[in-house]
Amino acid sequence: MLRAALPILLLFALWEAAVVGLAIDPFYLPSIRVVAAAMQAQSGFYLDAYLVTLAEAALGFAMGGLVGVASALLFTRLPMVKDMVLPIFIVSQTVPVIAFGAIVVLWFGNTLMAKAAIAFYLTFFPVTINTLAGIAAVDARQVALLRSFGAGQGAVMRKLLLPAALPRIFTALRLSASLALAGAIVGEWFGATRGVGAMLLAAMFNEQIVSLWASILVAAAVGGTLFAAVALAERAMVFWREEL
Amino acid sequence: MNRAVILRGILGAVLLIGAWEFSVRFFALPQWILPPPSGILATAWSGRAALLPAAAMTAYEALSGYAIGAVLGVGLAMLLALAAPLRAVLLPMVVAVNSIPVAAYAPLALLWFGTGALSKIIMVAFIVGFTVFLNALDGLTRVDPAAIALLRSFGAGRLRLLWTLRLPAALPSIATGLRISTVRAMIVTLVTEMLGSQLGLGWTIFQAVLLIDFLQVWAAILVASIISLLFFGVVSAIERRVVFWR
Repeated sequence: MLRAALPILLLFALWEAAVVGLAIDPFYLPSIRVVAAAMQAQSGFYLDAYLVTLAEAALGFAMGGLVGVASALLFTRLPMVKDMVLPIFIVSQTVPVIAFGAIVVLWFGNTLMAKAAIAFYLTFFPVTINTLAGIAAVDARQVALLRSFGAGQGAVMRKLLLPAALPRIFTALRLSASLALAGAIVGEWFGATRGVGAMLLAAMFNEQIVSLWASILVAAAVGGTLFAAVALAERAMVFWREEL
Repeated sequence: MNRAVILRGILGAVLLIGAWEFSVRFFALPQWILPPPSGILATAWSGRAALLPAAAMTAYEALSGYAIGAVLGVGLAMLLALAAPLRAVLLPMVVAVNSIPVAAYAPLALLWFGTGALSKIIMVAFIVGFTVFLNALDGLTRVDPAAIALLRSFGAGRLRLLWTLRLPAALPSIATGLRISTVRAMIVTLVTEMLGSQLGLGWTIFQAVLLIDFLQVWAAILVASIISLLFFGVVSAIERRVVFWR
């Protein structure tokens, strides 16, 4: 906990020292005290944005994680389907996905689901790929051993392949946490009235640099929350990793 | 990769596009739900006079930012690989900043650097720089200690170590960083263009959404995807040449 907080505190200290020491124009970087005061003055407003964006990103992130693992398991069972679908997945990831944000908002309207759908799309691919890689790395002799004891395909999956892939899955989840947040924020640019993305746009158009920095901090807080949730789940589920 | 796998991949793509075209026609889907592939191609072709300059602008911004970011990222990583104490202080902060999504500070770049190409190039350089830096540093510092000890025993200094051992050993991870960065560079360009610009595919998409011109949105995405795929393909091909031992 302290180890995570330290770099952030250091960053804040550097920020304040730079503003005071180098006399930076507040248009570029306002003092962190000013930003903090602005956040405190409108705490309800910022808290609302935090919760709205967190809900969108977390919903999409959770769905993306589940579907990612599920499709990797499906691909493992049906290699034929994998060969047909995986190249499309890969090509679809070189597509600038965020551009689809516009279309998704057209489909779902300005709802929670629209932003969650974008977050979902950005999350599920890294999870699929990493789960597949984790399963592929399992020693074939271990599979053979389990089979020799009469374990069926389902049991091998549950007892060996999935647990073995867990560390990789969590690596992907940590990576996707900030992608899901980016998806939710960009989704809010297309006409949303609440959330961090909407706040960022409003601050930019009104050239309110203090509230822009405050919004960036709120975005960081949402990202940090998602990240912490993944780290906690990882500690609970991949408990054996501490031996490494 | 063998031929059967490639054939199945092509079969999958053909089936997908065929099913897309068929279901749009069969269920008579309205354009705002899903336009047919043929319609998107036709729109892209007939609107090429407007799409091409936008595509050229987007490619210019993405490529210049990419080049600047790649050089800065590798350079900074080499500097920090030489200075272990500085690395211990800076790295956690860099990771903390990097976990904030681009979308959050793109508005800042627009306020500071205007709606021209500069704000996009700086954003792309920043993101590509981060990605390449983290990958390069990982490669530069994860060298076999036995190999370092051996070179040391022959009297190699820090710079010598960096040049003859660390850099070649780090090439695969630098190349990975450069490959991942291609797609990120395109995404960042489009996202920053959406916030405000005079020309570019991101701006085309944003305008088309406001005008509820769905075919135009899809056509711009198609062009952006082609650029992105080409960029990714070229960098991957160079990677396979340079990191031939992988």
